[in-house]
Amino acid sequence: MNLPSLLLVVGTIGYPLVYTANMAFRDVGIRSFISGEMPWLGFRNFATVLTDSVFIASFVQTLMFVVVSVTLEVAIGLGIAMTINMRNARIAGLTKSLLLLPWAVPPVVNGVMWSYIFNSKYGTLNAILYKLGLIDGYVQWVSDPTLALAAIVVAYVWRTVPFGALLFHAALQTIPESLYEAARLDGAGAWQQWRYITLPLIKPTLVVVLILRTVFSFMVFDEILAITYGGPGDSTWTAAWYIYSFAFRFYKFGPASAASFIVTLAIAAIAALYVWLFYRRVEV
Amino acid sequence: MTKVGFMTRFLPTAWGYLTNLFVIAILVLPLLVLVTGALQNERDLLAHSESLLPAHITFDNVVNLALGHQGSDLPEQVRFYPRAFFNSAIISLSVTLIVTILGSLSAYSIVRLRFPGRRTMPYGILSVRMVPLIALIIPLYMMMARSRLLGTPLAIIIPQAGLFLPYTIWILISYFASLPSELEDAARIDGCSRFGAFLRIVLPLSAPGLSANAVIIFLLSWNDLLLPVIMASKVEQMTLPVLISSIVTLKYFSYTLINAAGLLATLPTLLLTIFLQRYVIRGLTAGALKG
Repeated sequence: MNLPSLLLVVGTIGYPLVYTANMAFRDVGIRSFISGEMPWLGFRNFATVLTDSVFIASFVQTLMFVVVSVTLEVAIGLGIAMTINMRNARIAGLTKSLLLLPWAVPPVVNGVMWSYIFNSKYGTLNAILYKLGLIDGYVQWVSDPTLALAAIVVAYVWRTVPFGALLFHAALQTIPESLYEAARLDGAGAWQQWRYITLPLIKPTLVVVLILRTVFSFMVFDEILAITYGGPGDSTWTAAWYIYSFAFRFYKFGPASAASFIVTLAIAAIAALYVWLFYRRVEV
Repeated sequence: MTKVGFMTRFLPTAWGYLTNLFVIAILVLPLLVLVTGALQNERDLLAHSESLLPAHITFDNVVNLALGHQGSDLPEQVRFYPRAFFNSAIISLSVTLIVTILGSLSAYSIVRLRFPGRRTMPYGILSVRMVPLIALIIPLYMMMARSRLLGTPLAIIIPQAGLFLPYTIWILISYFASLPSELEDAARIDGCSRFGAFLRIVLPLSAPGLSANAVIIFLLSWNDLLLPVIMASKVEQMTLPVLISSIVTLKYFSYTLINAAGLLATLPTLLLTIFLQRYVIRGLTAGALKG
């Protein structure tokens, strides 16, 4: 009964993964498609990629993106989960039913939407900030190299934050109210209740969200395509954008495969941590 | 109201309402910008870009896209919009069907049957789920080109099914494991085969788990851009996300048109998420956590 599944997974994940690793060491161009010839290059593709300032920039920008967006996702996700959990506000039910809307928006549509919000000339954000008197002139949100990556982070985090919020909410609901009552009787303040009851009990979920979101945000692609197309300059190039561009815009499959190889190793390290934590320490 | 009542009742409630309203604003306002952008004409939109509600509602863009009326001044993407919607629907439904069938068979055999490697299987599934699509995309493209599937829906359906299958198996393993095996044992004593028990007892009992997984997979497939953008190069082969991304890179640019295209592509996912929310929540939680 497992054979069809196994064949499909090996054919679409296992074999291509090995093939990418193989291409990383070979000279693969458009011509290889027809001739099937891929001369051996050794580590030359890796040398090309690792000495390419655009790759280094893409990798560094990806790391910055991952650190900032995952931190925001966890912080805002926790905040939203605690807001939904408020027992004395009936409106929390409405918040909960609207929570998943951003998650359902197709990423490329999310990009389109935020690209209009951030548009420097006609965008909603500039228009509102200007009307409120918060800015003196229109800000170049996405054509400014330093602001562009931040704009991508905002768009991306808006779409992905419900995932963490949902899991945190589920975790918070498993904590019995009696624990807090007992703590209050013993004179524990709000901070102590959070530090010694809430945090330890949601820690397993926290670890899962951190690692899952790190792995997936490493691969941010759709929002970049829709909002900045990697620009201005190479200021919003990320790992996935680099691989996509080298393979399908410049047809340099060798360097693209070498870059894939490096990125996959980085992700594998994080994923290994995830699997290890799952089966060793944390019982979720 | 007494002073104590104010401190213990009113203040927390007011704070609760305030924070919840703030969160709702964050969740909904950007979507409002999308809706407002889609339902106005270009001149009104650009003149009042600060307004979050349309001054004059028009359905011109939405209707043109839904019916594929290109007219004289719109890009060809408008004419192919219904086609892209159809492509997206066919691909997402096929992928959902394939992973549901293969995934439930595999998950059931992992949960109930004894075979070598059964214990390590979930580790493998978990690891495979983490493999980034971007690392597979070049060989997948070559494989589809060689097998002459490039440009057909199969070039998207097969890799997507393969990529989403581990997630499905993962969700269904925890679901099947939660079912009592006594029911199946009883059926087998009465002469039912293992497969018969699976079909007649396990599957009907697992309908909620299967639905939860199906909604998630449909959304993942519908929203995917990276695979179809590489596999579908001609406008008539494109799925909705690819068609929308191809409007973004055009010289011709209309904010209202692209907002309307985005809104129509988002409607099915929003409706699914609203009406099948229970299943989406269950699927997402089961997919991330163990059991």
